[in-house]
Amino acid sequence: MHFQDFTTKAQRRKDQDNNTNVLASLRCRGNIILRPGHPFSFLSLIFLLILSYSCHKDHSPEISALKNGTVQIDFLHSVNGNVLVFDSLEYVTSLGNQYMVNDLQYFVSGLSFHQSGGTWVYIRDSSGIHYVDARIASSCQWQITQQLPTGNYDSIGFIFGLDEADNRSGRFVNPPERDMFWPEMLGGGYHYMKMNLKWKNQAMQETMPFMFHLGIGQMYSGTTADPDSIIGFIQNYFPVKLPVSTTISANHSSVIGVEMNVAGWFDGQNAFDFSLYPMGIMQNQSGMYRAALNGRSVFSFQPIVYK
Amino acid sequence: MKNSAFFFFILFMASLISCKKSADTPASFLTTPYQITIPSHFPSKLNIPSDNPMTVEGVTLGRFLFYDGRLSGRTDPDSMMSCANCHIQANSFVCGINNPKYTNGHPFGITGILTPHYMLPMINLVWADHGYLWNGAVSETNPAPQSRNLEDIVWMAILAPHEIHGDTNRTKALIQSIKGYPDLYKKAFGSETVTIKNTGKAIAQFVRTLISANSKFDRFLNGAEQLTISERNGFVLFMTEQGGDCFHCHGGDGNPLFTTNLFYNNGKDTVFDDIRDRYHVTLDPSDIGAYKAPTLRNLAFTAPYMHDGRFKTLDEVIDFYSSGVVWSPSISPLMHHVATHGVQLLPQQKADLKAFLLTLTDSSFVTNPDYSRPPKMPDEK
Repeated sequence: MHFQDFTTKAQRRKDQDNNTNVLASLRCRGNIILRPGHPFSFLSLIFLLILSYSCHKDHSPEISALKNGTVQIDFLHSVNGNVLVFDSLEYVTSLGNQYMVNDLQYFVSGLSFHQSGGTWVYIRDSSGIHYVDARIASSCQWQITQQLPTGNYDSIGFIFGLDEADNRSGRFVNPPERDMFWPEMLGGGYHYMKMNLKWKNQAMQETMPFMFHLGIGQMYSGTTADPDSIIGFIQNYFPVKLPVSTTISANHSSVIGVEMNVAGWFDGQNAFDFSLYPMGIMQNQSGMYRAALNGRSVFSFQPIVYK
Repeated sequence: MKNSAFFFFILFMASLISCKKSADTPASFLTTPYQITIPSHFPSKLNIPSDNPMTVEGVTLGRFLFYDGRLSGRTDPDSMMSCANCHIQANSFVCGINNPKYTNGHPFGITGILTPHYMLPMINLVWADHGYLWNGAVSETNPAPQSRNLEDIVWMAILAPHEIHGDTNRTKALIQSIKGYPDLYKKAFGSETVTIKNTGKAIAQFVRTLISANSKFDRFLNGAEQLTISERNGFVLFMTEQGGDCFHCHGGDGNPLFTTNLFYNNGKDTVFDDIRDRYHVTLDPSDIGAYKAPTLRNLAFTAPYMHDGRFKTLDEVIDFYSSGVVWSPSISPLMHHVATHGVQLLPQQKADLKAFLLTLTDSSFVTNPDYSRPPKMPDEK
């Protein structure tokens, strides 16, 4: 909503410029002159303003956005320093499991920019929620159109996934965000992340699918196969704060790279063993908990300069 | 006052010029927008091309053409063929497994050539994305600009040997000669001249009106009706990863279309020889043996199932997903139960899942008079 308000103001400024040009153009033709005090001059002016405003099209949001300095977040995806290659069984976890990544989709939300003095700006573009599909380049760039105070910023913060306030069932009715929905009976809202994999260990002949899906967890009084025994839900989203080094200045668009090291979800002190979760982890809170612990350190800042 | 009158005349003329939309729009060409009411929980984005907005006049013409066998360009009763020959409303616009003409629900063209695939239902296509047909070949990414949208499927059907096997010039000439049609084309598109492009546009407009949103499950979602215990248990199975795990591909309470419109190799085969699978569109090896997930709405009417119609009943489909899934290198990563050849449902669970699936039956869709054959064709009194 803030974006729309901002654009409207910019358009109005441009429309005012155009209206001035229309009047100047008419004056310069010589045969129509609006004399001050003429009974129709005020009405005519109003008419021309309405005419110019209502018929005008093709505003350029890029120009108006650049006037105030903007920032773009580029989401990058790697495996231990190398660019993520989909559908290729070339990765190995610290536990020795081979794996390939087939799909990687996730939400980030609650983005904020922080300065060393303690001031910070909360981003409200698109309700502060961004969907990333690592296979779709356009989704890997989040152009923030909200105005940011110029200056140096030394960290950014965001939520991986969606918090209780944002994770409302039915808020996304259109794809691709819609297809992230998380069953209501399992807690509702949306998947924080869908990472679809295939993996194998030395004992396996073939790769097997694994759905590394994160969202709201459940507490069961009985078996996890019985959603009727759910007695409570657990929020598995987590905050991420990244040190960055970026300067936002007027009439300049800065770019911040946020890189996800996919291997980080499986390695480290909470090494993830696919074989422990043959039924996936959507209904296995201990699996999601372990994954979420790892997730807190998968992101890093990468400086990006477009030439 | 004379100067003032002249000035206002200039202003009036300027307003006409500056606000004019298109120089070639006929002055007498006025259409009535066709308003699609978006049902509760349904997507707000409609797949309507900017060059073919929905109009009452276009839908009216499209409905006539959809049901008129003279679309084939032929008048002999034995060789006439329209969309409705195979797309039968009573079966959610598939030919149906009990069709007396098309054995086992496998349609064939006017010369008897079987279609390469069985039929997909025509339900809620105004929300279709990622292309049309089982492999999504007709999509915005198709290199051929004339094969990118629902509109384009009409000329394809007219020409296809396994469908109408006609000639577009003959179709145009015949439709042009039929009393009433030129006027309908003029009302819909501003010209009495029959073109294949406008024919495709009109039929596509009609097809986009075919909306199903009044099943028992819809009423359940809207709080107007309760599910039975068995239906409710089936719903839980449908929606849970440790149950049937159907929702990842087929939607559910968060996606009432009951399809993602995406493509999956769902583990039916280990050998693949269909040149019309998703792989032959994308050339991505991970798409070998993949097909569009069809909507599950009105499953009761749309047997047989799968692109090759291999399952004649819903029970066979459930049995397959329970214990018949086979591994291949390109199996979808969402088929995570393949290690056990399926989700291993117990008999009662199968019955519950089937009971839930049947709550997606929308009888009002298959009887909606607005979707039926018009009482009279344009040249009938």
